[in-house]
Amino acid sequence: MSPRLSLTEQRVAVAEPQSGALDQPAFESLFRECAADVHGYAISLLGDRAAAEDVTALAFERLYRSRARLDRSRGTPRGWLFSIARNAALDELRRRRRQPLPGAEQQLSPDAELDEAIEHTERRASLRAALLALPLREREVVLLKFHGQLTNGELARVLGISESNAGTRLNRALMRLREICTELGRKEVA
Amino acid sequence: MRIVPFPQRNGQELDGPVAELEAALTGDRHGPVADSWRELRSDVRALAPPMSAEFERELRERIEERAATPPRPRGVRSPTRSASAHAHARAWLGSGLRPRLLAGSGMCVAAAIVTLVVIAPWRASIQTTGGTAKDAVGARRAAGALGTSGGVFEQVAPSVKRATAAPSGADAGLSPTSPAAPTAESARARMQQRAASITLVATPEALQSVADRVARLAVREGGYVQSSQVHLQHGAAGEANLDLNLPSARLSAALASLAQLAPTRAESQSLQDITDEYSAARTKLADAFAERQALLRALARASTQGQIESLHARLALAGGAITRARTALQSVSKRGSSSAVEVTVLGAAHASGGGLTLGKGLHDVGDVLTVALVVLIIALAVLVPLAILVALLVSAWRVARRYARERALS
Repeated sequence: MSPRLSLTEQRVAVAEPQSGALDQPAFESLFRECAADVHGYAISLLGDRAAAEDVTALAFERLYRSRARLDRSRGTPRGWLFSIARNAALDELRRRRRQPLPGAEQQLSPDAELDEAIEHTERRASLRAALLALPLREREVVLLKFHGQLTNGELARVLGISESNAGTRLNRALMRLREICTELGRKEVA
Repeated sequence: MRIVPFPQRNGQELDGPVAELEAALTGDRHGPVADSWRELRSDVRALAPPMSAEFERELRERIEERAATPPRPRGVRSPTRSASAHAHARAWLGSGLRPRLLAGSGMCVAAAIVTLVVIAPWRASIQTTGGTAKDAVGARRAAGALGTSGGVFEQVAPSVKRATAAPSGADAGLSPTSPAAPTAESARARMQQRAASITLVATPEALQSVADRVARLAVREGGYVQSSQVHLQHGAAGEANLDLNLPSARLSAALASLAQLAPTRAESQSLQDITDEYSAARTKLADAFAERQALLRALARASTQGQIESLHARLALAGGAITRARTALQSVSKRGSSSAVEVTVLGAAHASGGGLTLGKGLHDVGDVLTVALVVLIIALAVLVPLAILVALLVSAWRVARRYARERALS
């Protein structure tokens, strides 16, 4: 697996190219920096490793084919990539009508969990439960924001809505997530 | 299970976390709130299992393989692609992309319908016009090649020809020169009344001369000038109008000769089928003859004075009927054998009798550009609606696809 860059480094690296089509080095750079993110988004949404791998491969395949048509005035390569990945993931959801996340829950590596501090483990379990309780439409926005590391503008382009609408949807999703987390915490305390 | 520590400030939850989140994730903001957002992001990202090394390696190899393969020239199909075309098509159809096929089929059908609706009348008119012009040229060539022999009644049925005994003569190009002329086979048995008009352009000085030559040409072709009006005005363009009556058999040759007198601005021909009218007149004449024969036979058998006088009176009436029928038949025959030609000679300062001059060349250039512009406009009139329709269909298909995708989240 390629060494992971820090999140800030990734954003800087992806934002570097500002004009022209996506050439081969830029594409490979994008692949190195975004493959894990796309895969994480897909597996979180679809809950199936095989489907997530299909979506990831399809997204890069499509991006490669359309790299000559990439218009940077209409978005960054990362945004473009996540648009493709989102479309592929929604097509997959539509085709299979799968419920996301439960599968991912089963596929989490227990070793990795054991290595984490207990506090982190419990907190992430709560967060996973809260995300599962979140409606799919709102969950998708949160996943896009955190896995895709998209700005609100990029998020808006990916979702095909205005930036203010994207902000509203993200805000609503985060508030809802917070409410669910609070509710889960209260139940735990009780 | 622990409570997820959502970002809070002074114990109060943030009402609008998006701006805080944006600033925290981009590293523009520091402090406990920003740290909480970053921690939340890390937690969400950590929930997703990492990509397997095997898949990552496979994906990387595919990317590198793609990069190593030189781009294939357009239109060149690789053997493997050709061999697996069927499999690809099946995969394409079976991968939830049927709407593409349906949308494509719908677009093709709609385009075909629009093409039929838009283009068909246009093509019909072009064909008629083009056919007329082409046939006119062909007729002139035929007239020039065959000389002056021939007449309209070569095209009339033998029975008609016997009955009319009109002046004969063949002109092979006669029928095809007429607009919307019937086929040669059907025209051979038809009686047709023809007319034509031609507009010539001459300089104001040559207007009278051209009008005179038109009149002489009418006489030379076996016709005559029915009426003529020549308006000459000093300093103005002037105009001459001549109504000619020419033998139909000589119409094509006469028009060709007229076109040589001065540059032609417009020319049109018309044709009217009068076969039914002619047949009716002929039948009426035959009936009148038959009645007269019957009366003569009855007169031969008459024995009383009263019968004889009555038959004589009826014979007189029958004679009158024969005369009227014959006159009607001759009138119809005359309409078929002669054609009315309306000749207009316009006086124009820039008109020239012939030869290649700069002015004429520029005029021709203008004509060519005008025709090209008209063709372009017609093409756009067809293509623009088609393009709009296709764009609308594509947009509708995209909206439907997006709606279907969004429904997957519901």
